[in-house]
Amino acid sequence: MNRKRIIVACGAGIATSTVVLDHLEELFAKERQLVELIQCKISEVASMQDEADLIISTTILPTVYKIPAVSATAYISGIGMEKLDREIIRIINL
Amino acid sequence: MEAALLIKKQLVHLNMQAANQKDLFKQMFRQALHLGYVKSSFLKGVMEREAVFPTGLKLNNYSIAIPHTDPEHVVEQFIGIAILDTPVSFALMDDHSKTTDVKLVFLLGLNQPHSQLEILQELMQVIQMEENLERLLTASDCEQIKFVFESIHIQEKQEVKKE
Repeated sequence: MNRKRIIVACGAGIATSTVVLDHLEELFAKERQLVELIQCKISEVASMQDEADLIISTTILPTVYKIPAVSATAYISGIGMEKLDREIIRIINL
Repeated sequence: MEAALLIKKQLVHLNMQAANQKDLFKQMFRQALHLGYVKSSFLKGVMEREAVFPTGLKLNNYSIAIPHTDPEHVVEQFIGIAILDTPVSFALMDDHSKTTDVKLVFLLGLNQPHSQLEILQELMQVIQMEENLERLLTASDCEQIKFVFESIHIQEKQEVKKE
């Protein structure tokens, strides 16, 4: 099976995406899914989307992308984390 | 304990009066610049970031904001905290078109990627428990605020015990 590539983005690519990245690493380890996580600024996403399967962002998506994109604010606020975990796993297994 | 170490008495503003978001940033910036924590470019950096990528977060009963900017504007790492007398409006992190009234602001001055994850995780742990937010909002000095951050490890241990 091909390893899925996930872009993890936030405004600066340093603060909130770091927290999300760490959570996702744990989630995929628990689910025994091999994925590649790439951390970046939201402004860099458009040029990277052709090589990825999913965008997970803590900030607003400035445009519509060709690949699925989800908001990850739940991982920051702590509200709705499990639901978001399930949604991400579902998309990754499509 | 990483986050608690970054909370400096002189960068904690209790009962802050701010007319709006710009006024709030200016007041927090002025003190940080005066004490040498940031470069003079920090204010512009934070305001521009907030305009494009807002940091307001609506939690269950309270809203917070975590303004920050690129590492090059930061001289020495810190977490500035403002507890506002009258809330200030912030746009939501995941929806520009909506705003939320914020009484608790964490201004993040971070420039060291290695320690950043632990600091941010501790901050998230703090804000994800409503009891902590209440303790912060009613704190009467910097020590009480620090104590909230220091006690997350105690909370963690208690959770492990429960399991």
